[in-house]
Amino acid sequence: MIVESGQLALVLALLATGYAVVASVMGVARRSPELVMSGRYGFYSTVILLLVATAALVHAFVTNDFSVRYVAENSSLAMPKAYTWVALYAGNAGSMLFLAIIFSAFALVAVGTIRKRLPYTAPYATAIMAMVLLFLLAVMVFLANPLSRLDVVPLDGQGINPLLVHFGMFIHPPVQMTGLIVVAIPFSIAMGALLAGKGGNDEWVDLGRTWGMIAWLILTLGLLLGSWWAYTILGWGGYWAWDPVENSALMPWLAMTAFVHSIMVQKRRGMFRMWNMVIIIIGFTLAQLGMFINRGGPVPSVHSFAQSAMGWIFLGFMAFTLVASIAVFVSKVDTLKSRGRLESMLSRESAFLAQNIAFLAVAFVTLWGTVFPIFSETASDVTITVGQPFFNLVNGPLLLFIVFLMGIGPLLPWRRATIGGLIRALRIPLAAAGVVGLIFMIVGPRQPVATVAFMTCAMVLAGIGHEWVRGTQSRHRKGENYAKAFMMLLSANRPRYGGYVVHISIIMLAAGAIGSSFYSVQRDLVMSPGDTETIGEYTFTYTGTTHQSHPDREEDYAQFEVYSGDTYLGEMEPFRAVYPDFRIASTRGAIHSTPLEDFYIVPSDFSDGGQAVFRVLINPMVWWMWASGPIMILGTLLALAPRREPSPATLRVPAGMRPAGV
Amino acid sequence: MTYRNQNYMKNSKTILTVALAALAILALACTSNTGDDIPEIERKTHSLNKAIMCPVCPGESIDQSQNPLAVSMRSIVAEKLTDGWTGDQIKDFFVERYGPSVLLEPPREGISLAAWVLPPMAVVVAIFAVFIGLRWMRRTTAIPSAVTSENTVLTLDEQESYFRRIEAALDLDDTPDGPSLPS
Repeated sequence: MIVESGQLALVLALLATGYAVVASVMGVARRSPELVMSGRYGFYSTVILLLVATAALVHAFVTNDFSVRYVAENSSLAMPKAYTWVALYAGNAGSMLFLAIIFSAFALVAVGTIRKRLPYTAPYATAIMAMVLLFLLAVMVFLANPLSRLDVVPLDGQGINPLLVHFGMFIHPPVQMTGLIVVAIPFSIAMGALLAGKGGNDEWVDLGRTWGMIAWLILTLGLLLGSWWAYTILGWGGYWAWDPVENSALMPWLAMTAFVHSIMVQKRRGMFRMWNMVIIIIGFTLAQLGMFINRGGPVPSVHSFAQSAMGWIFLGFMAFTLVASIAVFVSKVDTLKSRGRLESMLSRESAFLAQNIAFLAVAFVTLWGTVFPIFSETASDVTITVGQPFFNLVNGPLLLFIVFLMGIGPLLPWRRATIGGLIRALRIPLAAAGVVGLIFMIVGPRQPVATVAFMTCAMVLAGIGHEWVRGTQSRHRKGENYAKAFMMLLSANRPRYGGYVVHISIIMLAAGAIGSSFYSVQRDLVMSPGDTETIGEYTFTYTGTTHQSHPDREEDYAQFEVYSGDTYLGEMEPFRAVYPDFRIASTRGAIHSTPLEDFYIVPSDFSDGGQAVFRVLINPMVWWMWASGPIMILGTLLALAPRREPSPATLRVPAGMRPAGV
Repeated sequence: MTYRNQNYMKNSKTILTVALAALAILALACTSNTGDDIPEIERKTHSLNKAIMCPVCPGESIDQSQNPLAVSMRSIVAEKLTDGWTGDQIKDFFVERYGPSVLLEPPREGISLAAWVLPPMAVVVAIFAVFIGLRWMRRTTAIPSAVTSENTVLTLDEQESYFRRIEAALDLDDTPDGPSLPS
């Protein structure tokens, strides 16, 4: 009964969403605010309907109702009930429901904010969001209903994929999916403004930027959490492998990073209006490509969690939105004339453009490498793989260039910069880079690439630090104490200083990536109980193994006593679990983590008599990657924090006070 | 130079020194582990393992994978290296058995060459695009429209410089010891 009401709720949600599309569009055409309003309420109602459907599915999971196909395929009697949350999105149909409810909730908030501030844009934007939701609901109702019944009820379910049984799986997949689908919101706002003929009127920019940054932040966290999951559970000591699914999550992130920067140029200078539309279209297209590759696309991957033909339907929808947005863009392109003019080739504006193109270049190269195997196979029947070595070689330099731009861009003033001014501003950053370079030359193992990379990081940090110190001091001289002066500085121009905080977190991320890629030490050791080995400063003794049998898995725990120099670090206990039903082995590394380096042990094979093969790694600076997450959130929130601005309507310029150059 | 300016210079120098010292410590920390104590053969094994894909576990290198096949392939790599095989010989050995897709890096010949050629071309095109884009934006004149009227709505940038000028004007009146201009 409950399952059936859930099914009914899904159908009703489909109808309500369809109505929202039609009523919004017709309402605008007929100039009827009532019709627009009813469309909006139709859209709002989907949140409740989807909640009913989700509740029905959860109920089926909790009561082990294996007559529901999705429940039978994704859970079992043995599954702990806490994993119901994971099982909800572990399969295809369930993940659609998850996407739908998350999107409808976010869209509810978005429509609520646009409605008042962008009255002309709102109906169009609502219609576009409703169309995205309509697609998800149509797929569920007609193709992959999470609540459909089985004819024969099995006694037990098939169980959940054991790789998903990890704390990271409680958050990484939902955050990643949320990030991808939330990209639809800034896209809808931008396209809505364009359709309403308001694309050249910069009123959509603030909300577009806000939602763009929200999507960016969620995507970032999704990527970070995914890397963290890979690092702790996939058990090979790394966190990023340029796997197709990882790439497909990275590409929309790259595009959205470009977007949150270029939108600032429109906000500040009334320029880049066409460009912003182009980028958000690319961003949403790549987000859909991400969902497509993740859903049983054509490229094999560790992460594609549900093999099915559904991916191709996503591809179809992606092609449709791409063609439709290009058509809208072309038909309205004359409303997007720039208000400002680029005054100099050397200015913050031009740095932003260079940054944008660099990000898109990385996205393009990543896309190219990801889909190349398909090309090659169709064109010449040769199956090849494009993997980590390719991406490291090709994307590495581009990413380094982006970090370099991060050091230069913020130092350039808007409008017009001079070479002399730039050199003056770069004095301290370059000095810092020089010092770091010198240290590496004197003491370091001479890794030229890593040295240059760390020098670039130092340059960025010194640039930000220098500006903060200067700003704080100039406020201090006006009588504020240092702490207050610093806080006031940060809150005076939040987009700017929030951006700096995010830049610092990116440098932390980069430092972790550089440190662990260039200075990682890895050994594979065969050890018997009682053996002691030493790597670097770490001395560790393998004391023995304990075995535990569970209904669904066999676990081997290895015990180590670990010392760093003479300091006892404690016992470390990595383990390996074998799931016979799934023919999957899952290992969990034991990690002793400090900001300096991680000491990482993971078992790769156990043989009789307690002898085992262990992989032992020293990964420098990985800690900084995970620490960058909270700082990134803080920076983004600071950049988003609303600021009381004088209302543009009341800000009239007295003749004669108009700044030159307008 | 006024006293304030000297003070500012002194402070920023102190902070700069501290920051540089911190960076130096960080850099030293990174260089503490050189990994020189790893046998050459083991290092070679690892770099080869990272370039060979596990044929039955999509997208994972044999270095990453926990699959039994990957485990045995890892030991084959180590064995052959001890026997004096070169890296290329070992790669060929696996390509013969599993086809070219077993290598994670596409070969630099035939159709796969395209995989390598396009990215640098894309970079050249990108540099060109930035240049053309900037040129184009230099030439395009701004829309004249309402800019000259009295009711201009200012961008943030303009508001800021506008308010800065007002603030500067107020500053001149407010400060008891007069304007703080460099002497």
